[in-house]
Amino acid sequence: MAILIDEKLCNGCGLCDVNCPGDLIFMDEETRKPKVLYPEECWYCGACRMDCPKDCIKIVFPLTSL
Amino acid sequence: MNLKENNFNENVVNVDVLVIGGGSAGTMAALSARRQGLDVALVDKAGIDRSGCGAAGNDHFLAVLDTGPDWDTPEAFITWYHRLTQGLVDMNIPPKIYLSRIKNLLKYLEDLGVPMREDKENDAYIRTGSFGQPGEYFINFDGRNLKPTISKEAKKIGVKFFRKINIVDLLVNETGVIGAVGFDIRKGDFYVFLAKATIVATGNVTRFYNNQAGMPYNSWHSPYNNGGAQAMAFRAGAEIKNMEFVNYTLTPVNFSASALNAIVGMGGYIVNGLGERFLFKHHEKGEKGPRWIMPWGVYWELKEGRGPCYFDLRHLSEEDLDHLINNLLPVDKNTFLDYCEQKGVDVRNDLMEVQISEGQLPAFLGSVSGINITPECETTIPGLYAGGACTVAVGSLSGSMCVGDTAGEEAAKYVINGGGGRLEVSPDIVEGIKKSIYKYLSKESGFKPCELEEKLRQVMTLYVGIGRSKMGLETALAELDKLAQLLITAKTENLHELMRLFEFRDLLEVSKAVVRGALEREESRFGISHYRGDFPESSKEWHCSLHQKLQDGQVVFKRVEPYNL
Ligand SMILES: Cc1cc2nc3c(=O)[nH]c(=O)nc-3n(C[C@H](O)[C@H](O)[C@H](O)COP(=O)(O)OP(=O)(O)OC[C@H]3O[C@@H](n4cnc5c(N)ncnc54)[C@H](O)[C@@H]3O)c2cc1C
Ligand code: SF4
Ligand code: SF4
Repeated sequence: MAILIDEKLCNGCGLCDVNCPGDLIFMDEETRKPKVLYPEECWYCGACRMDCPKDCIKIVFPLTSL
Repeated sequence: MNLKENNFNENVVNVDVLVIGGGSAGTMAALSARRQGLDVALVDKAGIDRSGCGAAGNDHFLAVLDTGPDWDTPEAFITWYHRLTQGLVDMNIPPKIYLSRIKNLLKYLEDLGVPMREDKENDAYIRTGSFGQPGEYFINFDGRNLKPTISKEAKKIGVKFFRKINIVDLLVNETGVIGAVGFDIRKGDFYVFLAKATIVATGNVTRFYNNQAGMPYNSWHSPYNNGGAQAMAFRAGAEIKNMEFVNYTLTPVNFSASALNAIVGMGGYIVNGLGERFLFKHHEKGEKGPRWIMPWGVYWELKEGRGPCYFDLRHLSEEDLDHLINNLLPVDKNTFLDYCEQKGVDVRNDLMEVQISEGQLPAFLGSVSGINITPECETTIPGLYAGGACTVAVGSLSGSMCVGDTAGEEAAKYVINGGGGRLEVSPDIVEGIKKSIYKYLSKESGFKPCELEEKLRQVMTLYVGIGRSKMGLETALAELDKLAQLLITAKTENLHELMRLFEFRDLLEVSKAVVRGALEREESRFGISHYRGDFPESSKEWHCSLHQKLQDGQVVFKRVEPYNL
């Protein structure tokens, strides 16, 4: 599950892609919105959410990590 | 982009100083080398602004400030640090690298606007102590924006940033290390960096032991630090030391937050399933003892049927709980409160179950494993320097930043004084390296990096985990050799996987060093870090550092006496 991005709020700035230390988030060339391509490689660090100007990233822990 | 055709651009970058790894240490190294007026490249596989262990913030800043009490002096710090590391760190390092710089570093960060004074009313530091410290060395601070702040400074003074470039190996010729090679993980371009001095600062090693929740990236420290510096330096012929001491900590069950420093620093207890505090059985200071005591104690409680174990914060004052919950836990790990909420734990009123984390190396203040450096941050190879958590020096955030600062300064001095090898490699060699990187993209069959990595973790956890024996370690070596064979024929579908493949390659290199060291060291030391069931006691004969290096393709060991004060 990893992170959920509210596409309606997202402005496509791409900061989450730049900030993710694991190379998991990619900006989709067509929609210009971020896509989490490798959710199973998420560290749950929150770096993507911290600088998101639209506050539209939600961290969702998988069941096994709770 | 057709990845299989491998027709990527080639870039050659010439600089005075190359810094590999733009985390806490590497950014400081780049800043200090650049301040000497040199041309500096800072290269990272991530975005640098938020990358590495400090990506989402830090909350404890280790500092000795000479404010009056005996414990707040360099002498008291050294005495404690010597005891903590059992003399296995070169004791000439802390004064030169850390103690002489820490006050300046603190001032520098405050000038940049990093909020260091949590006691807003009195405009004062809040300091706490933990892990057997003689006093309160840890300034509690709001380090959520520390990493972007120093990155911005580096950019401002003209450090050249190379983001999303994965460094694969150092370039070496008969004159020493002359740079490094890597590839752009988004575009695929090949990079050759040529430099008079090279600094490796890629942090620690994670992802080579099973995670309790079965999620390999749910690791205590950054899962994207995979021993690049240690492996590259070792392959280039540099010495690494004490690799057998794998570090563990306690984390909230199934979650990757460190939290321990904050919790024991504030006076939290650790209790077993019977509600008893048990750490005094292992150390006179209990929860205030050295970090390795805590997983060691929990290990025996679980083994002897008194689990699960918990953090117990219920006795703390409202004020202390507020500080912990508002200023420490969510700064230490940005998602801490999300975890609590989604799990349904109320930190104020509930016990919080803990587990022993996966192993990693090195990890915290007092670790004695990594690249062997001098007090000038030189490795044993000309032209190669190292800084931060990949070295054996002074760990922790502020320690790593000071080591990085020193590495940058010393590498710059070396260049200014005419140092630097012959910056030439033949086009054939470059072409050969390039092919050896991209060939994995054109493979039709073979294992994927994630499959190989999963096997690596299984082997390390089974045979090189908590509780080791000669037989098990020999089995591990044989299994790791098989993995090395499988790596030759591995395949990757895209550039992201190609990066993961080279991470696996470095993890394998480091794992082999851990196993070799663990086999050689016929004793036990530092609790579960290195517990040999067949040699369960610490021995006098083994009270020494164990160095390893590659010489003519052979691993050479060296024992080095502990340092005295
Ligand atoms: C959540 C968390 C909280 C922490 N809190 C504290 C605290 O409060 N106080 C404290 O003292 N310590 C704390 N620590 C530890 C502290 O953050 C580290 O000791 C410190 O950041 C180490 O710095 P470093 O530069 O050596 O490594 P890092 O900062 O981790 O940097 C390593 C960099 O190398 C890059 N890299 C890796 N491999 C390659 C490669 N092959 N090619 C290119 N780049 C590469 C990575 O992307 C990364 O940017 C914390 C750690 C974590 C994980
Ligand atoms: S939580 Fe961290 S690792 Fe996960 S997607 Fe966000 S930035 Fe990347
Ligand atoms: S940082 Fe936020 S607003 Fe910007 S692209 Fe990512 S999700 Fe969208």
